[in-house]
Amino acid sequence: MLVNSRRLEIKQLTKVALKALQTNKSRSFLTALGVIIGVASVILLVSVGSGLKTYITGQMQDMGSNLIMIVPGDIDLDKMSAGSGQMQTADLAVMTSKLKLEHMEEIKKEIPEIQGAIAIVMVSSPVNYKRESKIIQVIGTTEDYIEIRKTEFYQGAFFSKAAVNSGRKVAVLGFKIAEDLFGEKNPLGKKIELGEARYTVIGVIEKKGGQGSMSPDDKIFIPLTTAQHQFDQDNVNLIMAEVHSSDEISSTISQIEQVLKKRLGEKEFSLLDQKEILSTVSNILNTLTAALGGIAAISLLVGGIGIMNIMLVSVTERTHEIGLRKALGATPEIILMQFLLEAVFLSVGGGIVGIMLGCGGTVLLNKFMPSVITPWSVLLAFFVSAAVGIIFGIMPARGAAKLSPIEALRYE
Amino acid sequence: MTKNETVLKLENVFKIYKMDGISVKALNGISLSVKKKEFISIVGPSGSGKSTLMHIIGCLDVPTSGKVILENQEISQLNERQLAKIRNKKIGFVFQQFNLLTRTSALENVALPLIYNNTDELKIREKAKEALKMVGLADRLNHHPNQLSGGQQQRVAIARALVTNPAIILADEPTGNLDSKSGVEILKIFDKLHKQGKTVVVVTHDQNIAARAQRIIHLKDGQII
Repeated sequence: MLVNSRRLEIKQLTKVALKALQTNKSRSFLTALGVIIGVASVILLVSVGSGLKTYITGQMQDMGSNLIMIVPGDIDLDKMSAGSGQMQTADLAVMTSKLKLEHMEEIKKEIPEIQGAIAIVMVSSPVNYKRESKIIQVIGTTEDYIEIRKTEFYQGAFFSKAAVNSGRKVAVLGFKIAEDLFGEKNPLGKKIELGEARYTVIGVIEKKGGQGSMSPDDKIFIPLTTAQHQFDQDNVNLIMAEVHSSDEISSTISQIEQVLKKRLGEKEFSLLDQKEILSTVSNILNTLTAALGGIAAISLLVGGIGIMNIMLVSVTERTHEIGLRKALGATPEIILMQFLLEAVFLSVGGGIVGIMLGCGGTVLLNKFMPSVITPWSVLLAFFVSAAVGIIFGIMPARGAAKLSPIEALRYE
Repeated sequence: MTKNETVLKLENVFKIYKMDGISVKALNGISLSVKKKEFISIVGPSGSGKSTLMHIIGCLDVPTSGKVILENQEISQLNERQLAKIRNKKIGFVFQQFNLLTRTSALENVALPLIYNNTDELKIREKAKEALKMVGLADRLNHHPNQLSGGQQQRVAIARALVTNPAIILADEPTGNLDSKSGVEILKIFDKLHKQGKTVVVVTHDQNIAARAQRIIHLKDGQII
């Protein structure tokens, strides 16, 4: 019976609160807008953050789980994810790399577990064909690249070991580059200008999709030695070694370490594998996502203050009405509930619209950049908006509940 | 129930306000009792303590000292919450300014006290309709206050006071905001209520209105004279 009557009371109070909100439609809407924007931006920014994470880790997985990367410099991924200045030292290390082609050949020869290995030089260079000119990332590498990177060919073939050894001026184009420079025409056998030298196109790599460092689509590949000669470089930026299975990774890493230590200082090279990179990258991106969400949460707080402000105004405006309701038998608790419900309806209503906008926005945004709706951010945004209503509604509502009926009735 | 049963009894009631360190005795030892079905009026010039007395009778305030007994219940020690419940059940207010909720229909205005005592929704409508019928506004259920004349608005307010079937109908200058013709209509309603057996207390400074009551209580300087 008591429960039943409570329910009746809540129902009546809900009606009263909704009616009050309806009476000031535009004011209610503007107040809710603060929460709408807050909730939508939390969802949107978290979506972008986690979209980025999904995308980047996806790219990393493309790398293959059987690969070990040997990079110049002393890179500690744990420290990197903790956000120190390690990124810059890594950049510097690439420029002052002590890694050489010989190191690759040596580990290939000495360690039987290594199935294949490639060395890579990365430079950006202007590329010309007839009137077309672009700045393109040029990858100088060795003949096993297609093997290790599991690359399919659209036309032609990759350069051979002989081409690498003799530094032949031949080029293999990424699919998008071929499309951009040659359009419908067959690029095989054509000459392109790469910096000051002319290269013969001998192959086009099949379209792989995606972008960034792992996709071959927007890159040009030339033999490593040719690249070193043309760009006046005797080191390499990266060595990749492949093992038969991911179980062999850790043992192979320590073997490579031993071999390379004979030639290089301890701080002149680092070994990374996919698992390690993945966990680091996802750590960094989780931090980024949390930071984005946190920034957006500030706007939710501002929205809450907006609710408190308007509720204070509403209580003052309706002092006389509060006095009347009290005279007619509304207890302080009922008045408190009435105004609290009003605040909660504003914030939860705003929260629901914000969730719809945030989700809709994510779907739209996904056409331009990777973004994924995360259920936890939706739930969190909803409950935070409800909490905002209660927290920022309680102060004005208590003020209303405490009013003396006599004073309030006298108020004009 | 006997005819002479006491509904309200005040015993040596004092109300003292402290303003800027000075004590003001708004009520200075008031004792009175109101019997069931009685129609009394309380008159006095402004500053005589009329409003304070009305607030105490209406359970909007408690005395500084003395006893207030409403239907055998001592109310002078009750808290805000308990007073609200008593007001809801036992007092029907009629104010000078009508105090209707704007943008709310006559029916909903009359229903207002009922939503605070958990009456069933269907019964609320029924009771509110009945009360409006009693004041002659059965055809104005869905009109809003701004669509009604002053006299009609006050009749809605009276219906609101009746709807809970309270122990006392307490009216504060009920004709103060009305022209004389509407005022007379309202007074006729009070007469009618009295004849139907309601207990009515009217607070006024107008001797003509007071004269309609069975008994007139004159107040001056917080005392009955």
